[in-house]
Amino acid sequence: MSQIETEVLIVGGGIAGTAIARELSRYKVDATLVEKGVDFGQGITKCSSTMMCQGSNTLEFRSEYHNSRLVWAGMPLMAPLCQELNIPLKRIGSLELIKNQAGMRRPEKMIRRFNEYRGKYIPPEVEPIQLIDRETLRSWEPNLNKQFIGALYDPNIAVNDPVRLTIALAENARQNGVNILLETEVLGISAGIDTFDVQTNNGSIRCRYIINAAGEYIGKLAQMANADDFALYPVKSYQAVLDKKIGGLINHMVFTTENGMVSPTIHGNLFFGISPGTQRLGKAHDHSTDQKLADAAMKHAQELVPDVSAKDIINSFVGFIVFRNFEIGWHECTVGVSRWVPRFINASIGFPGICAAPAVAKEMVEILTKNGLRLEENPEFNPYREAMPDFSELSDEEKKKLIAQDPRYGHVVCRCETVTEGEIVEAVKRGARTLDGVKFRCRPGMGRCQGGFCGPRVTKILARELGVPETEVTKKGGESRNLIYKSKELLEAQQ
Amino acid sequence: MKLQDVDVAVIGAGPAGMAAAIKAKEAGAENVVIMERAEELGGLLHQCVHNGFGLLYFNQDLTGPEYGHRFIEKVMDTGVKPLLETMVVRLTEDRQIGAVNIREGYITFKPKSIVLAMGCRERSRGALNIPGTRPAGVLTAGTAQRYVNVEGFVPGKKIVILGSGDIGMIMARRLTLEGAHVEAVVEILPYIGGLIRNEVQCLHDFEIPLFLEHTVTRIHGEERVRAVTIAKVDGRRNPIAGTERTIACDTLLLSVGLIPENELSVMAGIRLDPVTGGALVDEMRQTTVSGVFAGGNVLHVHDLVDNVSWESELAGESAAKFALEEKPQKQGEISIKAGTNIRYIVPQTISGQRDVTLYMRVTEPEEMVRIKVGDIMTKGIRAVKPSEMLKIELPAETLKKLKDGTKEIIVDCEKRGGK
Ligand SMILES: Cc1cc2nc3c(=O)[nH]c(=O)nc-3n(C[C@H](O)[C@H](O)[C@H](O)COP(=O)(O)OP(=O)(O)OC[C@H]3O[C@@H](n4cnc5c(N)ncnc54)[C@H](O)[C@@H]3O)c2cc1C
Repeated sequence: MSQIETEVLIVGGGIAGTAIARELSRYKVDATLVEKGVDFGQGITKCSSTMMCQGSNTLEFRSEYHNSRLVWAGMPLMAPLCQELNIPLKRIGSLELIKNQAGMRRPEKMIRRFNEYRGKYIPPEVEPIQLIDRETLRSWEPNLNKQFIGALYDPNIAVNDPVRLTIALAENARQNGVNILLETEVLGISAGIDTFDVQTNNGSIRCRYIINAAGEYIGKLAQMANADDFALYPVKSYQAVLDKKIGGLINHMVFTTENGMVSPTIHGNLFFGISPGTQRLGKAHDHSTDQKLADAAMKHAQELVPDVSAKDIINSFVGFIVFRNFEIGWHECTVGVSRWVPRFINASIGFPGICAAPAVAKEMVEILTKNGLRLEENPEFNPYREAMPDFSELSDEEKKKLIAQDPRYGHVVCRCETVTEGEIVEAVKRGARTLDGVKFRCRPGMGRCQGGFCGPRVTKILARELGVPETEVTKKGGESRNLIYKSKELLEAQQ
Repeated sequence: MKLQDVDVAVIGAGPAGMAAAIKAKEAGAENVVIMERAEELGGLLHQCVHNGFGLLYFNQDLTGPEYGHRFIEKVMDTGVKPLLETMVVRLTEDRQIGAVNIREGYITFKPKSIVLAMGCRERSRGALNIPGTRPAGVLTAGTAQRYVNVEGFVPGKKIVILGSGDIGMIMARRLTLEGAHVEAVVEILPYIGGLIRNEVQCLHDFEIPLFLEHTVTRIHGEERVRAVTIAKVDGRRNPIAGTERTIACDTLLLSVGLIPENELSVMAGIRLDPVTGGALVDEMRQTTVSGVFAGGNVLHVHDLVDNVSWESELAGESAAKFALEEKPQKQGEISIKAGTNIRYIVPQTISGQRDVTLYMRVTEPEEMVRIKVGDIMTKGIRAVKPSEMLKIELPAETLKKLKDGTKEIIVDCEKRGGK
């Protein structure tokens, strides 16, 4: 059991925790991030849609909302961030669909608000939102249900892969000196005069500041320090990914407030889900899907894009969105110092949180400074992270070159997503320890056969690279081994 | 042989690809290559260590690997060139192939003709959208088969199998022999999905409980599967409330159907049959893209390997002829349409000039039926089942009975002596 001292302890390796860690690494500060799981971004972040720079629907809420302001502030930050970290971001634009004349009131209100907030909370780089008519809608999205009479178009909406972004942030933070500990769960916190003593399954940590970025578990963590001065409501939300072969059905993210949304992903699939807030159900931390939710989501999706069908689903899951008390505004996030415990800072980033994360990270620097932390710039800070090679995206010439350098790139392991052994080895080199870890970094098993073909092959490579027997390879850590016994082991046990 | 000189390129070296390549060579094509992503020829046969292969083709009861080896030897003897560990990643409408392998890197070439023999893949959990958690221990029966028979691992100790396809039933027996306990085989239909012989030899002989008209309604367990809930279904295959029961297990195997692997075909602009999931073909097994042929499970899912071999030989022979430019081949003129209780028919078009064998499946099981091919032929069959493919031979003689200008032939499967 180790004993660590650090200035700032960040709890949680989701988008919030890693974005904060990376932002802090711009400064000379002794920071440590702990994550209880085996990998980054496997909490709420994993379940989120791939929407970045969400903006227009935030206009539904008044400018006092901290979350709305963070989302707007985060918008111009996202593209440069993705560029520095070398991960793709694609602007697709969104269309909030309008059913009838009465439905025009909402978009009109949004446009009014947009103009009012522009230059105040909405940075000048953000492009204006606008109404488009039926004909334009039809020509942009021929596969949309014909009933819609127009849409509110937000050109700012982009997609990327939130888990990749999280992993990239963690890699870059580590590269710039943040101490990162995986499989380290905070179990208890005792507050002293100017320090906290934090117990984990891996020893204790003494720190001056705690940043609580524990996602779904933010309440639990705050409770440990008696800093739970807020009430949170988990809202279960359902998402499903569709086969790439119908990836071209629509080009924009399309949605209505009651139907949820259908959208392309950065990887060329389609994605749909019931929008948060409409499903106020679910026991906290129960990550199971259920048929009712799945059926409802499908029905809604089909009302938007009739050709979407259940037989094209390749994967589905639920996620929890942690909201504030419905009475004070369900959409609000909780980012700030606890009213009860000094130097204990909560960072529950709410929804949309991925978009807000870059701004949350910047705000965290201000909060820490205001609360007595001296932050000096780190002259060695390197914002750039080398990209993971993506074989399937290369030109013929580039493919040839890469294979010549390392023949393992000539060995295609995942046929659905065309992932090579070279990429898997690189993913392990960069920290993947599990099948999911490999999958989220370079996508073997993300395709339509869901690992049926490549599962055994990835397991083999992972075992070899980690130097463990295949029976110790897990899907996502803990007891999640895929192969429990060697051949004959069960028979021998019976004798 | 230089790749630029290839006459026939066969994609996939399972039973279909091997049969096609051998036949292409025998039919006179000089330079035949067979491209396979695995390290060896044989495809899925390697992991099918059970018997039941070759009963029709060789009149012998062989295991999968034995069946495969006969073809592998012949591939070698006839001088077909295998390109192993080579994954075809691109196919264009003008028959350009792009492939990667460790030795040559990225290769491109344009053979005179192509046979598609990529086989099929298993339907996954995602496709079923089974509710519940997402733990480890949910895998397809074929993947489990590979783990057990090729890699030397047993996925778990207490197993539930969803779907009564052949691979699922065979794995029920295999895992039992490995010391695991198969708690249940659960099938949503009122009848099994695979062959009768597998039901008897794999389930009944090992006293494995079979739940017909049941399905898995929930998966439990955070890290590893802990249990599944199953329930009876009604006539519309919806679970009936109140019939749920939970079975403790650590593994859920899925044997819920196979899907022809046609990503490359789609890339090349080949039109697919929405029912089979495979290419639309004529009696020579030519697809809608000229010079590209297909055979075996990539075309439609077969239950017997013997038929895969025969069908692919036809595709191989046609590809050789095309390469040798013996006769310009075009899609047949007459379309063959599925009528009463017929789910699909391959080929989808014929010329009406040559002998053809129609491969087809029924939609519902039925006894004492008559298959009617338009008004030129009828054939009585005692019992038909969706899991067992029917083969109807149509000699050229019989086809002569067609009226001039016939555009379409409807095939029906009607109950005899009733309405
Ligand atoms: C269905 C869905 C769709 C969404 N769509 C969008 C969208 O389109 N755009 C958008 O911007 N946002 C979206 N969001 C919101 C966004 O996903 C979240 O705001 C964001 O992911 C939250 O990140 P986080 O870092 O706060 O939480 P998490 O990602 O949950 O990270 C918290 C981490 O803390 C760790 N942890 C918890 N307790 C401890 C402990 N005691 N010790 C150590 N570690 C601990 C957890 O293991 C976890 O990894 C969506 C959310 C959902 C659920």
